[in-house]
Amino acid sequence: MAEAPAPPSRVTYDFVTRAVARTLGNPGKGYYALLGGAVGLLAIGIVCLLLLLRYGLGLAGYSHPVYWAVYITCFVFWVGIAHSGTLISAILFLFRSGWRTAVYRTAEAMTVFAVMTAGLFPLIHIGRQWYLYWLIPYPNERGLWPNFKSPLIWDEFAIGTYFTVSSVFLIMGLIPDIAAVRDVATGWRKKLYAITAVGWRGTNEQWRHYTRGYLYLAALATPLVLSVHSVVSWDFAMAIVPGWHATIFAPYFVAGAIYSGVAMVITLLVPIRKLFRLEELITGHHFENLAKLCLLTGMIVAYAYCVEYFTAWFGGNPNERAAFWYRAFGPFWWASWTMIICNAFLPQLLWFKTIRTNILALFVISIFVNIGMWFERFVIIVVSLAGEPFTTWTNATYNATWADWGIMAGSFGWFFMWFLLFVKNFPAVSISEVKEVLPPPRRASRAVHA
Amino acid sequence: MGEPMERRRFLKVLGVTGGGAALLSGCGIGPEPTEKLIPYLIPPEDQVPGTPTYYATTCRECPAGCGLHAKVREGRVVKLEGNPESPINHGRLCPRGQAGLQGLYNPDRVAGPLERTGDGQWKPIAWDDAIGRVAAKVKGARGKGIVFVTGHESGAFGELVDEWMRQVGGRHVIYEPFAFEALREGNRLAFGTSAVPWYDFANARYLVSFGADFLDTWVSPVGYQNGFARAHGFQAGRDASMAKFVFVGPRLSLTGMNADEWIAAAPGTEGLLALAMASVIVRERLAPVPSDAARLASLLSRHAPAQVASAVGIEPSVIARLAREFAASKGGLAVAGGIAAQYPNGAAIVAAANILNYVAGTVGKTVKFGPNDSLGGAGAGSFQQMADLVSDMEAGKVAVLLVHGANPAHSLPGAFSQAIAKVGFKVGFSPYLDETAAAADLILPDLHPLEQWNDARPRAGLFALLQPVMQPVFPDARHTGDVLLRASGRDQTFQEYLQGRWRELHRRHGGGKSFEQFWSEALQHGGVYGEAPLQPVRLASGVAQLTATPPALAGGPGETVLTVFPSIGLYDGRGANKPWLQELPDPVSKITWHAWVEIHPATAARWGLTNGDFLLLKSPYGTVKAPVWITPGVRPDVLAAATGQGHTAYGRYAKDRSGNAFELLSSAPNGYGGRTFSVAVSVVKTGEHRRLATAEGDPRELGAHNVEVLPLGRARQLKSGERAFEEHEAPAYAERALEDWAAAQHEKASLGNYAGEHPRWGLAIDLATCTGCSACVTACYAENNIATVGEELVVRRRVMSWMRVERYYTGGEHGEPVGAVVTPMLCQQCGNAPCEPVCPVFAAYHTADGLNGQVYNRCVGTRYCSNNCPYKVRYFNWYNFAEQGGEWESWPAPLDMLLNPDVTVREKGVMEKCTFCVQRIRGAQNRARLEDRTVRDGEIVPACAQACPSEAIVFGDLHDRRSRVSELAQDPRGYHVLAGLNTKPAITYLAKVVHDG
Repeated sequence: MAEAPAPPSRVTYDFVTRAVARTLGNPGKGYYALLGGAVGLLAIGIVCLLLLLRYGLGLAGYSHPVYWAVYITCFVFWVGIAHSGTLISAILFLFRSGWRTAVYRTAEAMTVFAVMTAGLFPLIHIGRQWYLYWLIPYPNERGLWPNFKSPLIWDEFAIGTYFTVSSVFLIMGLIPDIAAVRDVATGWRKKLYAITAVGWRGTNEQWRHYTRGYLYLAALATPLVLSVHSVVSWDFAMAIVPGWHATIFAPYFVAGAIYSGVAMVITLLVPIRKLFRLEELITGHHFENLAKLCLLTGMIVAYAYCVEYFTAWFGGNPNERAAFWYRAFGPFWWASWTMIICNAFLPQLLWFKTIRTNILALFVISIFVNIGMWFERFVIIVVSLAGEPFTTWTNATYNATWADWGIMAGSFGWFFMWFLLFVKNFPAVSISEVKEVLPPPRRASRAVHA
Repeated sequence: MGEPMERRRFLKVLGVTGGGAALLSGCGIGPEPTEKLIPYLIPPEDQVPGTPTYYATTCRECPAGCGLHAKVREGRVVKLEGNPESPINHGRLCPRGQAGLQGLYNPDRVAGPLERTGDGQWKPIAWDDAIGRVAAKVKGARGKGIVFVTGHESGAFGELVDEWMRQVGGRHVIYEPFAFEALREGNRLAFGTSAVPWYDFANARYLVSFGADFLDTWVSPVGYQNGFARAHGFQAGRDASMAKFVFVGPRLSLTGMNADEWIAAAPGTEGLLALAMASVIVRERLAPVPSDAARLASLLSRHAPAQVASAVGIEPSVIARLAREFAASKGGLAVAGGIAAQYPNGAAIVAAANILNYVAGTVGKTVKFGPNDSLGGAGAGSFQQMADLVSDMEAGKVAVLLVHGANPAHSLPGAFSQAIAKVGFKVGFSPYLDETAAAADLILPDLHPLEQWNDARPRAGLFALLQPVMQPVFPDARHTGDVLLRASGRDQTFQEYLQGRWRELHRRHGGGKSFEQFWSEALQHGGVYGEAPLQPVRLASGVAQLTATPPALAGGPGETVLTVFPSIGLYDGRGANKPWLQELPDPVSKITWHAWVEIHPATAARWGLTNGDFLLLKSPYGTVKAPVWITPGVRPDVLAAATGQGHTAYGRYAKDRSGNAFELLSSAPNGYGGRTFSVAVSVVKTGEHRRLATAEGDPRELGAHNVEVLPLGRARQLKSGERAFEEHEAPAYAERALEDWAAAQHEKASLGNYAGEHPRWGLAIDLATCTGCSACVTACYAENNIATVGEELVVRRRVMSWMRVERYYTGGEHGEPVGAVVTPMLCQQCGNAPCEPVCPVFAAYHTADGLNGQVYNRCVGTRYCSNNCPYKVRYFNWYNFAEQGGEWESWPAPLDMLLNPDVTVREKGVMEKCTFCVQRIRGAQNRARLEDRTVRDGEIVPACAQACPSEAIVFGDLHDRRSRVSELAQDPRGYHVLAGLNTKPAITYLAKVVHDG
């Protein structure tokens, strides 16, 4: 990851502040249409969820033995999405990659909202949602604690920690920027920003503390990038289901998570850049770097696919062999091949610079990667269970229902609702950090210094 | 002064939250609302709450007459089990017998007498009026034709009907759709007696069944299975330890699946094969030929193997081999006369099998005339009588028709339904609104057999009693016996009438006891069990004229033979209103809730069919549409369909479920007065398709080896202490880790109630005797309050059955013979259970006595345990199956009265599973503690083991070295399913043993 070249000279401190502050202006029809769409999807999801609560999980497509399906697929999908945010904001910060400054805020916001979305699914998918709190270790008169041996409890801690740290990271990074927009805002927003800027005045003292704190937080967040999805992968790897029970799962899942996260960042940035006219801040250079990251993680994922099939064959375990044969050539072959084509073959196009720098092509590829990564989780979860070779008698098919798709749609609505609200109310591009990579203005300039 | 305000505010908040909680539970979210328990005001003297009382009675679900023990809790019967004293069923019971309970509590029972009004509606009527009307109509119809149709009645009720009909000048027609006329006629042809003998399966050394499905529905399936298991089961250390069983028939029925060899003879040629075997035995003098067999000489010489082999479709050498094996066994038993083999020449097939038995010298040894089955003889009724009745009805010669215990409008759909319209006055005595009752003018609902006095004579020498085991569920239903006595003007109850008949028995069998003592002892034991003496039989004079030539079953082009066979669960359709039976996967096809047509894969490929494609079957008598199920267990030129479905009435569970196979059959009797259950059909593909409501995932094991099979030669060589199946379990380090963990667990759990040694409960299942009959499945439903989920949810693979019987086909692919293996699969109660550690809330946990417990109240429903269970024996409550009035309600009132009070009814969102009937374990432990002793081996019997007609399931303590189960767990044939996963199951399966070759 090469050091970022200086952006075009038109981009000055003043320009950055104005460009970013402009994104917070009065929303147009397009924004309301998008927000309305997101809230509409969310409403569908809520209706489905209420029906699910009333009648039971039978409304979803589960069969015996496919006891986890679309909801857990979505859970892993959204947790995966949440990964690139911290990678870009924390790990690349520690590596001093200048190009991250323009995109990290979006990625971070995406992370927090994706975790918020992912966190809903364990609640939705359990049989007695009203007893979810039994999974939380709290002192009670029965002296009952959760089972710390269960990977689901590990999950709860991993996701909880990740959500806490990534939100703190997002909020902290926002402080100088909020202070900047506070100074130009009016009305209720002024009050909002005045509170959320926590008295930021941009003094040397404050900057000193802030940069130190940010660095430590980045250091704290970095291992989480690796740990969260490792723990999520252990939900599967710790089980004995052929197709789940593999030592490769942690790195495989982490790579896949970052892969899907970067793809999602591209999917989100392309329209935002267009809508908010941020072409000069978020440039082709940024997209190319994201595409490279995508290619790298995509190659790791493709390698993991190969290794999975190779070990299934080379290990000689008849159950493993049967499971992977079923995966590739069984009744769910279409899902497996969708996943392989979207995740392993299509991204090979990113080797070509013309494609890496073609925003539209990137956008299309990123969407295919999103689809492919959703199917990866679907294949791992549903197909492994449906064709479990231990007892062929119980092999069953699985057909998702409206309750599955409705809640999945609701999760997208939920995610985009928060995301849209965020980009309209908070700076979607870090003002202060973009300025760090700009040439400092001359004293005569009357730029608003954040 | 602030304090009262504070409190008021507190109460207000409390009220609001309470209201919120009520609202939540009202929406079905949250825990179930609390209900009140109302104690007895004046408790009955003989009822101790919480302690069951068992009453002996007799099953009336089919004519076999098995003895029952009805378990009664707080005045309600909650389970039916076999009466161990009954010589018919030896304490065992089939699914249909157990589901009798759902007939008793059926929500579609007719609550009181109904009359039909002018506009075709039903109107309640008082009993006095109703009986008055019947008496008046019968009186007025004297001479114009009065007919009383009943089912098979071998006891006092049948005699009462006879008496009354004699008195009023009417006639009594006995109608059973499966009356085994071919069997009776075949016995008459061969031996001059139409009795149905008692077949001694237990002492047979070589079995040949010519289409007699004795494990399915034939004559007395529970008793015969019990005997079959004794003969065909593998007993180590005994010479000639396992009878060989050869099944001859066009379709691999449940009986056929248990055969060592299946000969798919062309339909109708079974008799040729039997005669050819007999001819080999006579020609080669393989057995001391009885003197009168000489008259068979010409018959047998015409049927030498070489002459019949091509018609049968096998090699002559195979026939000769079978004959030699049969004779050499010195204890052969050939049975014939099954319903699916009741062709136009069905009687000749039975006669041929009789000849085979006769020349091999087994008549009198394994075929016992004397202790005859009640289905035989003149009093058993025949299809001929029913056909005569239908033509009389058509001709307007029947003025009053009374129907009890039979549903001819379903089993004779065309002819009877048309004819009944011409009868002046029709009375139905059915407790349900079945098709026949629906066509009646008056319905006088009978009590359920569990609520009434009656008796039965299942076979000569046995007198079985029925007694009311509880107060009638519907108090306004009335015993038909009482109704008849009233109508005939006799001032007597049926109980008194019955006792009058038993006074006669007392004179013969009383043995010096007073009648009261004799009666109460008979009630306690379920009847009087005597032995009828053997009667020798000789060949009939006309036996040489027998023609066993196969009839032309399918003549025209494009025609295929369809064989119609009785459904194992639904029988002739009477089981169709019982959800347990509807949801019980058929032991062969594993299909639930709907009808199907069986078709060979080659035929299906030729016709371009896949599982679930609909075929329209057209016979000269009717058409039926049904989805196909492709199976290697049927001849390529034969289709097969089960009876039972296709009701147009008969309650919510039966009505409008696919086609009625009876519609395809001729309603004219054949040459021997029976019904022909094979018919030529032409077939049209309709283009419709459905997903079969099946419990079957993959019909083949695909190399999984969960069912192990040993050839007999290898099994015989096994010495005690050996293991036929090496089990590679965990490496040594993992063993050590496991032991350390177990020690730590033990230490932790060594306090209070957990101190001291614990049993390790285990099960042994002998696959050499398990037939796959699925009696255990229904037993489990009954014992453990398992919800029936209905057709739609079965299609979506959400059957809740904790016990499932897996059936895998074998062979058929590279010219190997087609066969099938079965295994009951239930929770293995692993010692190292994968389900336990993954549960985040300890709902799945390990009990001190080694069970994989499941705390329903603690379960939040993550379903992780099921994902991690390699046996897939955990089942999730997708809906609230107990919600009253809910869409998925499994026990609509009064069906909920059969719920076992010892077992929780699970709510939606929790996982449930088998726990070896932990309520029975704890019950026995509590009893033992009260009596200050330890639990005896064999004292605890889980429901599945209790019901098993083969006695294949043994439960006990594996830590007790002298228990039967630990002995079986050491059996050289023993193995554990998926032992390689190191789950350490508590269930030891004993490998199936098959004859070599």
